[in-house]
Amino acid sequence: MPSSPFLCVITDEAVCPLSLAEKALQGGAAMIQLRHKTASGSQLFSWGVEITRRCREYGALCIINDRIDIALACRADGVHLGQQDLPASAARKLLGNSRIIGVSASSPEEAIQAERDGADYIGFGHIYPTPSKEKGFDPVGPESLRRVAALISLPIIAIGGITKSNASLVIGHGAAGIAVISAVSRADDPVSAVQELVCSLQQGDIDG
Amino acid sequence: MVHITPHNAPLPRLLLISSGKEAPLIGTPLLIQLQLLPRFMPCMIQIREKHLDAKQLFQLSLMAAEIACEKEVRILINERADIALAAALHGVHLPENSCPPDKLRAIAPELIIGCSVHSPLSACIAEERGADYLLFGPVFDTPSKRKYGPPQGVEKLGALCRSTSLPVFAVGGITPQNIPCCMKQGAYGAAGISIFEPGSGFVATFEQFHNTLYQ
Repeated sequence: MPSSPFLCVITDEAVCPLSLAEKALQGGAAMIQLRHKTASGSQLFSWGVEITRRCREYGALCIINDRIDIALACRADGVHLGQQDLPASAARKLLGNSRIIGVSASSPEEAIQAERDGADYIGFGHIYPTPSKEKGFDPVGPESLRRVAALISLPIIAIGGITKSNASLVIGHGAAGIAVISAVSRADDPVSAVQELVCSLQQGDIDG
Repeated sequence: MVHITPHNAPLPRLLLISSGKEAPLIGTPLLIQLQLLPRFMPCMIQIREKHLDAKQLFQLSLMAAEIACEKEVRILINERADIALAAALHGVHLPENSCPPDKLRAIAPELIIGCSVHSPLSACIAEERGADYLLFGPVFDTPSKRKYGPPQGVEKLGALCRSTSLPVFAVGGITPQNIPCCMKQGAYGAAGISIFEPGSGFVATFEQFHNTLYQ
Protein backbone atom coordinates (compact mmCIF):
# COMPACT_ATOMS: atom_id res chain seq x y z
CA MET A 1 0.00 0.00 0.00
CA PRO A 2 1.32 3.49 -0.82
CA SER A 3 2.59 5.43 2.19
CA SER A 4 1.48 8.94 1.20
CA PRO A 5 -2.13 9.93 0.34
CA PHE A 6 -3.05 8.24 -2.90
CA LEU A 7 -5.75 7.99 -5.50
CA CYS A 8 -7.60 4.83 -6.48
CA VAL A 9 -9.58 5.00 -9.71
CA ILE A 10 -12.43 2.50 -10.02
CA THR A 11 -13.57 1.57 -13.52
CA ASP A 12 -17.03 2.66 -14.66
CA GLU A 13 -19.32 0.19 -16.46
CA ALA A 14 -20.12 2.88 -19.03
CA VAL A 15 -16.49 3.36 -20.10
CA CYS A 16 -13.93 0.92 -21.53
CA PRO A 17 -11.84 -0.18 -18.49
CA LEU A 18 -8.61 -0.33 -20.49
CA SER A 19 -8.71 3.24 -21.78
CA LEU A 20 -9.90 4.55 -18.42
CA ALA A 21 -7.13 2.73 -16.55
CA GLU A 22 -4.55 4.02 -19.01
CA LYS A 23 -5.66 7.64 -18.48
CA ALA A 24 -5.79 7.18 -14.72
CA LEU A 25 -2.24 5.82 -14.69
CA GLN A 26 -1.01 8.65 -16.90
CA GLY A 27 -2.52 11.14 -14.47
CA GLY A 28 -0.81 9.55 -11.46
CA ALA A 29 -3.32 7.16 -9.88
CA ALA A 30 -1.59 4.69 -7.54
CA MET A 31 -4.32 2.05 -7.66
CA ILE A 32 -6.79 0.86 -10.28
CA GLN A 33 -9.78 -1.20 -9.25
CA LEU A 34 -11.31 -3.24 -12.07
CA ARG A 35 -15.00 -3.38 -11.28
CA HIS A 36 -17.49 -4.61 -13.85
CA LYS A 37 -20.52 -6.54 -12.65
CA THR A 38 -21.91 -7.47 -16.08
CA ALA A 39 -18.78 -8.45 -18.03
CA SER A 40 -18.10 -12.13 -18.76
CA GLY A 41 -15.33 -14.00 -16.94
CA SER A 42 -13.32 -14.19 -20.12
CA GLN A 43 -13.59 -10.43 -20.64
CA LEU A 44 -12.68 -9.68 -17.01
CA PHE A 45 -9.67 -11.97 -17.26
CA SER A 46 -8.28 -10.30 -20.36
CA TRP A 47 -8.88 -6.79 -18.94
CA GLY A 48 -7.27 -7.91 -15.69
CA VAL A 49 -4.16 -9.19 -17.44
CA GLU A 50 -3.74 -5.98 -19.41
CA ILE A 51 -4.46 -3.55 -16.54
CA THR A 52 -2.14 -5.49 -14.23
CA ARG A 53 0.62 -5.25 -16.85
CA ARG A 54 0.14 -1.50 -17.27
CA CYS A 55 -0.03 -0.95 -13.48
CA ARG A 56 3.32 -2.75 -13.05
CA GLU A 57 4.87 -0.44 -15.65
CA TYR A 58 3.62 2.61 -13.76
CA GLY A 59 4.43 1.22 -10.31
CA ALA A 60 0.73 1.21 -9.44
CA LEU A 61 -1.51 -1.54 -7.99
CA CYS A 62 -4.25 -3.44 -9.81
CA ILE A 63 -7.16 -4.64 -7.67
CA ILE A 64 -10.03 -6.81 -8.95
CA ASN A 65 -13.51 -6.31 -7.54
CA ASP A 66 -15.24 -9.42 -6.09
CA ARG A 67 -13.61 -12.12 -8.30
CA ILE A 68 -10.73 -13.73 -6.40
CA ASP A 69 -10.40 -16.39 -9.10
CA ILE A 70 -9.88 -13.72 -11.75
CA ALA A 71 -7.41 -11.85 -9.52
CA LEU A 72 -5.36 -15.03 -9.04
CA ALA A 73 -5.56 -16.03 -12.70
CA CYS A 74 -4.41 -12.63 -13.98
CA ARG A 75 -1.87 -12.17 -11.16
CA ALA A 76 -3.37 -8.89 -10.02
CA ASP A 77 -2.16 -7.27 -6.80
CA GLY A 78 -5.32 -8.03 -4.89
CA VAL A 79 -9.09 -7.94 -4.58
CA HIS A 80 -11.72 -5.57 -3.30
CA LEU A 81 -14.67 -7.21 -1.54
CA GLY A 82 -18.08 -5.73 -0.87
CA GLN A 83 -20.27 -6.79 2.03
CA GLN A 84 -22.09 -9.21 -0.34
CA ASP A 85 -18.89 -10.86 -1.57
CA LEU A 86 -16.79 -13.65 -0.07
CA PRO A 87 -15.66 -12.82 3.49
CA ALA A 88 -12.09 -11.50 3.77
CA SER A 89 -11.15 -14.44 6.01
CA ALA A 90 -12.02 -16.92 3.21
CA ALA A 91 -10.34 -14.71 0.62
CA ARG A 92 -7.12 -14.62 2.66
CA LYS A 93 -6.80 -18.39 2.54
CA LEU A 94 -6.89 -18.26 -1.26
CA LEU A 95 -4.73 -15.19 -1.74
CA GLY A 96 -1.99 -15.65 0.86
CA ASN A 97 -0.31 -12.78 2.65
CA SER A 98 1.39 -11.16 -0.31
CA ARG A 99 -1.82 -10.03 -2.00
CA ILE A 100 -3.97 -7.09 -0.94
CA ILE A 101 -7.53 -7.52 0.33
CA GLY A 102 -9.74 -4.45 0.58
CA VAL A 103 -13.22 -4.52 2.12
CA SER A 104 -16.06 -2.03 1.71
CA ALA A 105 -17.53 -0.73 4.95
CA SER A 106 -20.14 1.91 5.67
CA SER A 107 -20.27 1.63 9.45
CA PRO A 108 -17.79 1.29 12.32
CA GLU A 109 -19.05 -2.27 12.92
CA GLU A 110 -18.30 -3.35 9.35
CA ALA A 111 -14.88 -1.71 9.48
CA ILE A 112 -13.96 -3.47 12.73
CA GLN A 113 -15.20 -6.81 11.38
CA ALA A 114 -13.14 -6.37 8.20
CA GLU A 115 -10.04 -5.67 10.28
CA ARG A 116 -10.70 -8.84 12.33
CA ASP A 117 -11.18 -10.82 9.12
CA GLY A 118 -7.71 -9.86 7.97
CA ALA A 119 -8.36 -7.07 5.45
CA ASP A 120 -5.43 -4.87 4.37
CA TYR A 121 -7.51 -1.74 3.84
CA ILE A 122 -11.05 -0.51 4.26
CA GLY A 123 -13.01 1.26 1.56
CA PHE A 124 -15.20 3.56 3.65
CA GLY A 125 -18.19 5.53 2.44
CA HIS A 126 -19.99 6.92 0.82
CA ILE A 127 -18.67 10.07 2.43
CA TYR A 128 -20.66 12.56 0.32
CA PRO A 129 -23.62 12.18 -2.04
CA THR A 130 -22.46 10.50 -5.24
CA PRO A 131 -23.86 10.46 -8.75
CA SER A 132 -22.21 7.09 -9.55
CA LYS A 133 -25.05 4.96 -8.30
CA GLU A 134 -28.14 5.06 -6.15
CA LYS A 135 -27.20 4.16 -2.60
CA GLY A 136 -29.67 2.74 -0.16
CA PHE A 137 -28.58 5.06 2.65
CA ASP A 138 -27.46 8.62 3.38
CA PRO A 139 -23.82 9.66 3.09
CA VAL A 140 -21.84 8.85 6.24
CA GLY A 141 -20.05 12.22 6.24
CA PRO A 142 -16.43 13.14 7.03
CA GLU A 143 -16.94 13.10 10.83
CA SER A 144 -17.86 9.43 10.69
CA LEU A 145 -14.65 8.83 8.74
CA ARG A 146 -12.67 10.42 11.57
CA ARG A 147 -14.36 8.17 14.16
CA VAL A 148 -13.69 5.00 12.17
CA ALA A 149 -10.07 6.03 11.56
CA ALA A 150 -9.64 6.25 15.35
CA LEU A 151 -11.16 2.78 15.87
CA ILE A 152 -9.09 0.73 13.44
CA SER A 153 -5.44 0.65 12.51
CA LEU A 154 -5.94 -0.28 8.84
CA PRO A 155 -5.54 2.31 6.10
CA ILE A 156 -8.88 3.73 4.96
CA ILE A 157 -9.69 4.63 1.40
CA ALA A 158 -12.53 7.12 1.46
CA ILE A 159 -15.11 6.87 -1.33
CA GLY A 160 -18.22 8.65 -2.46
CA GLY A 161 -18.56 12.17 -3.87
CA ILE A 162 -14.90 13.06 -3.38
CA THR A 163 -13.64 15.89 -5.58
CA LYS A 164 -10.54 18.05 -5.79
CA SER A 165 -12.20 20.55 -3.46
CA ASN A 166 -12.92 18.15 -0.57
CA ALA A 167 -10.05 15.65 -1.05
CA SER A 168 -7.67 17.39 1.35
CA LEU A 169 -10.37 17.58 4.03
CA VAL A 170 -11.00 13.85 3.72
CA ILE A 171 -7.27 13.16 4.14
CA GLY A 172 -7.28 15.50 7.13
CA HIS A 173 -10.04 13.32 8.63
CA GLY A 174 -7.87 10.23 8.60
CA ALA A 175 -8.14 8.67 5.14
CA ALA A 176 -5.00 7.13 3.67
CA GLY A 177 -6.34 7.59 0.19
CA ILE A 178 -9.43 8.31 -1.86
CA ALA A 179 -11.31 6.33 -4.47
CA VAL A 180 -13.33 7.86 -7.29
CA ILE A 181 -15.41 6.61 -10.19
CA SER A 182 -17.39 9.31 -11.98
CA ALA A 183 -15.06 12.19 -11.00
CA VAL A 184 -12.62 10.66 -13.49
CA SER A 185 -14.72 8.50 -15.86
CA ARG A 186 -17.18 11.29 -16.58
CA ALA A 187 -14.65 14.13 -16.72
CA ASP A 188 -14.13 15.85 -20.09
CA ASP A 189 -10.41 15.31 -19.64
CA PRO A 190 -9.84 12.30 -17.35
CA VAL A 191 -6.05 12.69 -17.28
CA SER A 192 -6.29 16.28 -15.99
CA ALA A 193 -9.03 15.27 -13.56
CA VAL A 194 -6.69 12.63 -12.09
CA GLN A 195 -3.77 15.08 -11.95
CA GLU A 196 -5.89 17.63 -10.09
CA LEU A 197 -7.10 15.03 -7.59
CA VAL A 198 -3.56 13.78 -6.96
CA CYS A 199 -2.42 17.38 -6.51
CA SER A 200 -5.15 18.13 -3.95
CA LEU A 201 -4.24 14.96 -2.04
CA GLN A 202 -0.68 16.13 -1.67
CA GLN A 203 -2.06 19.45 -0.43
CA GLY A 204 -4.10 17.51 2.16
CA ASP A 205 -0.97 15.74 3.31
CA ILE A 206 0.75 19.09 3.96
CA ASP A 207 -2.35 20.50 5.71
CA GLY A 208 -2.70 17.35 7.80
CA MET B 1 -14.25 -45.95 -21.18
CA VAL B 2 -14.26 -44.41 -17.74
CA HIS B 3 -12.82 -40.94 -17.39
CA ILE B 4 -10.87 -39.94 -14.34
CA THR B 5 -11.16 -36.76 -12.30
CA PRO B 6 -8.16 -34.79 -10.97
CA HIS B 7 -8.72 -36.73 -7.73
CA ASN B 8 -8.06 -40.01 -9.52
CA ALA B 9 -11.65 -41.12 -9.06
CA PRO B 10 -13.93 -42.11 -11.93
CA LEU B 11 -15.95 -39.18 -13.27
CA PRO B 12 -19.63 -39.86 -12.47
CA ARG B 13 -21.95 -40.26 -15.49
CA LEU B 14 -24.85 -38.33 -14.00
CA LEU B 15 -24.86 -34.55 -13.58
CA LEU B 16 -27.64 -32.72 -11.75
CA ILE B 17 -27.87 -28.98 -12.27
CA SER B 18 -29.53 -26.93 -9.54
CA SER B 19 -32.90 -25.36 -10.20
CA GLY B 20 -31.88 -21.70 -10.05
CA LYS B 21 -34.58 -21.28 -7.40
CA GLU B 22 -32.52 -21.29 -4.22
CA ALA B 23 -33.75 -18.91 -1.56
CA PRO B 24 -30.85 -17.07 0.12
CA LEU B 25 -29.87 -18.52 3.52
CA ILE B 26 -32.49 -21.27 3.46
CA GLY B 27 -30.91 -23.36 0.76
CA THR B 28 -33.80 -25.39 -0.57
CA PRO B 29 -34.23 -27.22 -2.96
CA LEU B 30 -30.54 -28.07 -3.51
CA LEU B 31 -30.05 -29.26 0.06
CA ILE B 32 -33.18 -31.41 -0.17
CA GLN B 33 -31.85 -33.02 -3.36
CA LEU B 34 -28.55 -33.71 -1.61
CA GLN B 35 -30.27 -35.25 1.39
CA LEU B 36 -32.38 -37.47 -0.88
CA LEU B 37 -29.45 -38.77 -2.92
CA PRO B 38 -29.02 -42.53 -2.60
CA ARG B 39 -25.76 -43.24 -0.85
CA PHE B 40 -23.78 -45.40 -3.21
CA MET B 41 -24.75 -43.93 -6.54
CA PRO B 42 -22.10 -41.54 -7.78
CA CYS B 43 -23.17 -38.27 -9.37
CA MET B 44 -22.16 -34.65 -9.76
CA ILE B 45 -24.26 -31.66 -8.79
CA GLN B 46 -23.65 -28.25 -10.28
CA ILE B 47 -24.72 -25.28 -8.16
CA ARG B 48 -26.06 -22.82 -10.69
CA GLU B 49 -27.86 -19.98 -8.93
CA LYS B 50 -27.07 -16.87 -10.89
CA HIS B 51 -29.32 -14.63 -8.78
CA LEU B 52 -27.31 -15.22 -5.58
CA ASP B 53 -24.34 -13.02 -4.67
CA ALA B 54 -20.94 -14.46 -3.80
CA LYS B 55 -21.57 -14.42 -0.05
CA GLN B 56 -24.85 -16.33 -0.41
CA LEU B 57 -23.25 -18.80 -2.84
CA PHE B 58 -20.43 -19.37 -0.39
CA GLN B 59 -22.86 -20.07 2.47
CA LEU B 60 -24.95 -22.39 0.28
CA SER B 61 -21.78 -24.18 -0.87
CA LEU B 62 -20.62 -24.76 2.70
CA MET B 63 -23.99 -26.24 3.66
CA ALA B 64 -24.07 -28.42 0.53
CA ALA B 65 -20.51 -29.67 1.09
CA GLU B 66 -21.38 -30.67 4.64
CA ILE B 67 -24.34 -32.82 3.55
CA ALA B 68 -22.42 -34.25 0.60
CA CYS B 69 -19.43 -35.54 2.50
CA GLU B 70 -21.31 -38.73 3.40
CA LYS B 71 -22.23 -39.52 -0.20
CA GLU B 72 -20.58 -40.23 -3.51
CA VAL B 73 -21.43 -36.84 -4.91
CA ARG B 74 -19.06 -34.31 -6.44
CA ILE B 75 -20.26 -30.75 -6.01
CA LEU B 76 -19.37 -28.19 -8.63
CA ILE B 77 -20.27 -24.53 -8.83
CA ASN B 78 -21.04 -22.51 -11.90
CA GLU B 79 -18.18 -20.23 -12.97
CA ARG B 80 -16.88 -19.19 -9.53
CA ALA B 81 -13.66 -21.15 -9.03
CA ASP B 82 -12.89 -18.93 -6.03
CA ILE B 83 -16.05 -20.06 -4.23
CA ALA B 84 -15.28 -23.68 -5.16
CA LEU B 85 -11.88 -23.32 -3.50
CA ALA B 86 -13.12 -21.37 -0.48
CA ALA B 87 -15.86 -23.91 0.27
CA ALA B 88 -13.69 -26.94 -0.66
CA LEU B 89 -16.05 -28.07 -3.42
CA HIS B 90 -14.90 -30.59 -6.01
CA GLY B 91 -15.07 -28.47 -9.10
CA VAL B 92 -16.25 -25.62 -11.24
CA HIS B 93 -18.45 -25.58 -14.33
CA LEU B 94 -17.62 -22.88 -16.84
CA PRO B 95 -20.07 -21.23 -19.22
CA GLU B 96 -18.61 -20.65 -22.68
CA ASN B 97 -17.40 -17.09 -22.03
CA SER B 98 -15.63 -17.76 -18.72
CA CYS B 99 -12.07 -17.28 -17.60
CA PRO B 100 -10.09 -19.84 -19.69
CA PRO B 101 -9.91 -23.29 -18.01
CA ASP B 102 -6.11 -23.49 -18.26
CA LYS B 103 -5.79 -20.23 -16.30
CA LEU B 104 -8.04 -21.67 -13.58
CA ARG B 105 -6.22 -25.00 -13.61
CA ALA B 106 -3.01 -23.08 -12.88
CA ILE B 107 -4.49 -21.68 -9.66
CA ALA B 108 -6.68 -24.67 -8.76
CA PRO B 109 -5.08 -27.94 -9.93
CA GLU B 110 -7.39 -30.07 -7.74
CA LEU B 111 -10.68 -28.86 -9.19
CA ILE B 112 -12.75 -30.78 -11.71
CA ILE B 113 -13.25 -28.27 -14.54
CA GLY B 114 -16.21 -28.71 -16.87
CA CYS B 115 -17.08 -26.53 -19.85
CA SER B 116 -20.35 -25.81 -21.61
CA VAL B 117 -19.80 -26.03 -25.37
CA HIS B 118 -22.10 -25.38 -28.29
CA SER B 119 -19.96 -26.45 -31.26
CA PRO B 120 -17.09 -28.82 -32.17
CA LEU B 121 -14.84 -25.73 -32.36
CA SER B 122 -15.52 -24.68 -28.77
CA ALA B 123 -15.15 -28.34 -27.71
CA CYS B 124 -11.73 -28.38 -29.34
CA ILE B 125 -10.69 -25.16 -27.56
CA ALA B 126 -11.94 -26.44 -24.19
CA GLU B 127 -10.04 -29.71 -24.65
CA GLU B 128 -6.85 -27.89 -25.62
CA ARG B 129 -7.21 -25.76 -22.50
CA GLY B 130 -7.45 -28.76 -20.23
CA ALA B 131 -11.16 -29.16 -19.43
CA ASP B 132 -12.12 -32.44 -17.69
CA TYR B 133 -15.54 -32.81 -19.32
CA LEU B 134 -17.90 -31.04 -21.69
CA LEU B 135 -21.60 -30.26 -21.43
CA PHE B 136 -23.55 -30.03 -24.68
CA GLY B 137 -27.16 -29.10 -25.33
CA PRO B 138 -30.01 -28.66 -25.48
CA VAL B 139 -30.14 -32.02 -27.23
CA PHE B 140 -33.94 -32.37 -27.02
CA ASP B 141 -36.78 -29.90 -26.64
CA THR B 142 -36.99 -28.37 -23.18
CA PRO B 143 -39.29 -25.52 -22.09
CA SER B 144 -36.52 -23.53 -20.37
CA LYS B 145 -34.40 -23.30 -23.54
CA ARG B 146 -37.15 -22.69 -26.14
CA LYS B 147 -36.35 -18.98 -26.25
CA TYR B 148 -32.93 -19.83 -27.75
CA GLY B 149 -34.43 -21.65 -30.74
CA PRO B 150 -34.83 -25.32 -31.70
CA PRO B 151 -32.83 -28.03 -29.86
CA GLN B 152 -29.46 -29.16 -31.25
CA GLY B 153 -30.57 -32.76 -31.84
CA VAL B 154 -28.78 -36.10 -31.50
CA GLU B 155 -26.83 -35.81 -34.77
CA LYS B 156 -25.05 -32.69 -33.54
CA LEU B 157 -24.43 -34.42 -30.22
CA GLY B 158 -22.79 -37.25 -32.17
CA ALA B 159 -20.66 -34.85 -34.23
CA LEU B 160 -19.54 -33.11 -31.05
CA CYS B 161 -18.67 -36.37 -29.30
CA ARG B 162 -16.59 -37.46 -32.31
CA SER B 163 -14.73 -34.11 -32.32
CA THR B 164 -13.26 -34.59 -28.84
CA SER B 165 -11.71 -37.22 -26.62
CA LEU B 166 -13.24 -35.62 -23.53
CA PRO B 167 -16.33 -37.10 -21.85
CA VAL B 168 -19.46 -35.30 -23.09
CA PHE B 169 -22.62 -34.89 -21.01
CA ALA B 170 -25.87 -34.43 -22.91
CA VAL B 171 -28.30 -31.88 -21.45
CA GLY B 172 -31.75 -30.61 -22.40
CA GLY B 173 -34.84 -32.81 -22.32
CA ILE B 174 -32.86 -35.89 -21.26
CA THR B 175 -34.93 -38.77 -19.85
CA PRO B 176 -34.06 -42.37 -18.95
CA GLN B 177 -35.81 -43.32 -22.22
CA ASN B 178 -33.58 -41.24 -24.51
CA ILE B 179 -30.28 -41.79 -22.66
CA PRO B 180 -29.41 -44.94 -24.72
CA CYS B 181 -29.79 -42.90 -27.90
CA CYS B 182 -27.38 -40.22 -26.51
CA MET B 183 -24.85 -42.84 -25.45
CA LYS B 184 -25.02 -44.45 -28.87
CA GLN B 185 -23.92 -41.06 -30.23
CA GLY B 186 -20.91 -41.15 -27.93
CA ALA B 187 -22.17 -39.27 -24.86
CA TYR B 188 -20.42 -40.24 -21.62
CA GLY B 189 -23.18 -39.07 -19.35
CA ALA B 190 -26.41 -37.16 -18.93
CA ALA B 191 -27.40 -33.95 -17.18
CA GLY B 192 -30.76 -32.67 -16.03
CA ILE B 193 -32.33 -29.72 -14.26
CA SER B 194 -36.13 -29.70 -14.05
CA ILE B 195 -36.56 -33.49 -14.14
CA PHE B 196 -34.67 -33.61 -10.83
CA GLU B 197 -36.77 -31.04 -9.01
CA PRO B 198 -37.22 -32.48 -5.54
CA GLY B 199 -40.62 -34.02 -5.07
CA SER B 200 -42.15 -37.40 -4.52
CA GLY B 201 -40.50 -38.89 -7.62
CA PHE B 202 -36.95 -37.66 -7.07
CA VAL B 203 -35.34 -40.85 -5.83
CA ALA B 204 -37.10 -43.04 -8.42
CA THR B 205 -36.07 -40.70 -11.26
CA PHE B 206 -32.51 -40.55 -9.98
CA GLU B 207 -32.28 -44.34 -9.78
CA GLN B 208 -33.73 -44.76 -13.26
CA PHE B 209 -31.14 -42.36 -14.69
CA HIS B 210 -28.42 -44.08 -12.76
CA ASN B 211 -29.38 -47.59 -13.83
CA THR B 212 -29.63 -46.58 -17.48
CA LEU B 213 -26.26 -44.80 -17.44
CA TYR B 214 -24.42 -47.60 -15.65
CA GLN B 215 -26.01 -50.67 -17.18
